[in-house]
Amino acid sequence: MKLKAILGALGAACAIGAMPAAAQDIKIGANLPMSGPNAEYGDLFGSAAALAVEHANADKMLSRKLVLVIEDSQATPQQGVVAMNKLVSVEKVPYVLSAFTGVSKAIAPVGDKAKVVSVNGGGIGPDLAELGDYFWNVIPLVNLEVLALAPYLVKEKGWKKVALLYVDDPAGEAIKKELDIHVPKNGGTMVSSQQVPRASQQFSGLAAKVREARPDVVFIASFGTQQAQIVKQLRDNGVRQQIVSYSAFASPTVTQLPEARGALFPTQSINWNGDALSQRVARDWKAKKGKDPNAYVANYYNAVMVFVKLAQALEKAGQPITGENLLKQRQAMGSFDVVGGRMTFLPNGTVSMPLQINEIDGGAGKLVKGNIVVR
Amino acid sequence: MWAYLVNLAVLISINAILAVTLNFVLGYAGIFSMAHAVFFGVGAYTAALVAMKLSGGFLLSTAAGMALAGLISLALALPALRVRGEYFVAASLGLQMLAMTVFSEWKVVTGGIGGITNIPPARLPGWTVASPEQYLVLCLVCLALVMLAVATLVRSSFGRSLKAIRDDETAASAFGKNVAVIKTLAVVVSSALAAVAGSLYAFYLSFVNVESFTLDTSVVLMAMVIIGGTATLVGPVVGTVLILLLPAALSYLPGLPQSEIGSIQQMVYGLAMVLLMIFRPGGIWGFRDNPKDDR
Repeated sequence: MKLKAILGALGAACAIGAMPAAAQDIKIGANLPMSGPNAEYGDLFGSAAALAVEHANADKMLSRKLVLVIEDSQATPQQGVVAMNKLVSVEKVPYVLSAFTGVSKAIAPVGDKAKVVSVNGGGIGPDLAELGDYFWNVIPLVNLEVLALAPYLVKEKGWKKVALLYVDDPAGEAIKKELDIHVPKNGGTMVSSQQVPRASQQFSGLAAKVREARPDVVFIASFGTQQAQIVKQLRDNGVRQQIVSYSAFASPTVTQLPEARGALFPTQSINWNGDALSQRVARDWKAKKGKDPNAYVANYYNAVMVFVKLAQALEKAGQPITGENLLKQRQAMGSFDVVGGRMTFLPNGTVSMPLQINEIDGGAGKLVKGNIVVR
Repeated sequence: MWAYLVNLAVLISINAILAVTLNFVLGYAGIFSMAHAVFFGVGAYTAALVAMKLSGGFLLSTAAGMALAGLISLALALPALRVRGEYFVAASLGLQMLAMTVFSEWKVVTGGIGGITNIPPARLPGWTVASPEQYLVLCLVCLALVMLAVATLVRSSFGRSLKAIRDDETAASAFGKNVAVIKTLAVVVSSALAAVAGSLYAFYLSFVNVESFTLDTSVVLMAMVIIGGTATLVGPVVGTVLILLLPAALSYLPGLPQSEIGSIQQMVYGLAMVLLMIFRPGGIWGFRDNPKDDR
């Protein structure tokens, strides 16, 4: 099917020839992994951004047609820089969507020099908050998630003893740092913290140590298939305590795992059946992709919509749509109504958004507590 | 467009240095190293740290990277090159895995997975390399110096010994060549010169992390050498240009749906490589039947 689509696309390319964006179009860029092992993320993020562009054009939100130019970062810093340079100096875009921490960190200096805004909607490591004025995040970083979860676990549920298994990357370390602060602050204790190498796949030894620590709750701070393996092996090795995590648990590899049922994790507060905008995105996404949207769809959709709202304001004020003006306008506007509620930018380019706590129930998930506002 | 072309040229120059230095061991000495990205990484991390912690300029940072890369390669080569061919492949693969772990786990030094950011611009005595065009000049000068060093070594008696060992190790040994020492020296020289590319890379991106120095990078470098033509001076540069420019050129294919661009690029890229290997197995610049092999 995929091959057929590709051959069809090749044929179409030969038949119709070049269809460049018209000179008067407003262009934004996306520096996403479109090939290699992370291509599925690029496809997901790019499709969400394309849906936002489609909506913006259908609603004639801007005076000219909005065009999304996607370049392949291959999720590597070097290729990311090549793609970013092309977007900046060939396509002349003022605004670029980014993904993956390594790529984001490599392209941030390019954007900073050229005064082009880069926007992350996928990575949640706190180090993404330190990449300069022209690097923005439209996804709440992981420290906010812990801030929302810790009081709920310790005060509301009474789970005072917390054991942590965390992967050795910036996000894992940030979670440890935040838990070390906020669990005791809410009256709880960190009874054990064990680091997990990124490539590790055997956790029976860790499970024995978790059992020994006798926690009330086990926090798993990993990602990808490893987090599912940890959950399974903890359960297989007799760890029966409540499992909690962060938004990475929203992955189907975890939510569809029988051993993960009952696990809790925070995400952005998104009620797809709530406001008209969320309903429209959910409906159109399902029509195109045949499945429900997730938080990443909301993030990359929102990233484009933030640009559209900023560009609308600049057009109204008669100012050119440049990266510098977009930054000034964002600082002036501060908050935006987007999918999931009101997004408020903090001075360092990160956002504060309402969060919710979810429970894995083997299906679409159960909302345990919604609309948690943390700053 | 100009800035984009300059950026491509800078990255081509950096990768060409890596390909030329890998070719020195792979093409002339017949040593298959799967760890060239390690020495690239050692050069990059060392240059970044010297520049940031000791306020070192480009020359000092690069020299430190070369020295450390040379020392590490010595530790690998001394035991591994006492045995023949495939054992070095296995040993270098082991070093690649080990180095990946060190790069990602030695957080105090390498910054872990998050890497090192805010590396200052390269400084030469009395001159800060500020613009991309100036940086391209610096890269081209480094590439020329590395190529000159390799060409000089290859044409020397050392180079002839390397080729003799590559063609028949037993015969070279019978003629009194100290095979282990010559091979070890070749690996040290190649690794130290690869660190120059690492230094250039770190100063150019202002950021380094482990993702740039993976086994994939080592394999791509090997592809650059083989596609361009092993045991030729210009071949690895040609291979580098091709491998870095082909994806960029393919991104200009008109009328493609955005979600399929990556897949189509991979198909065209793979097909081009296969055809190349069928019709020019000696590489683009390689001339298999010609005994002169140091063009």
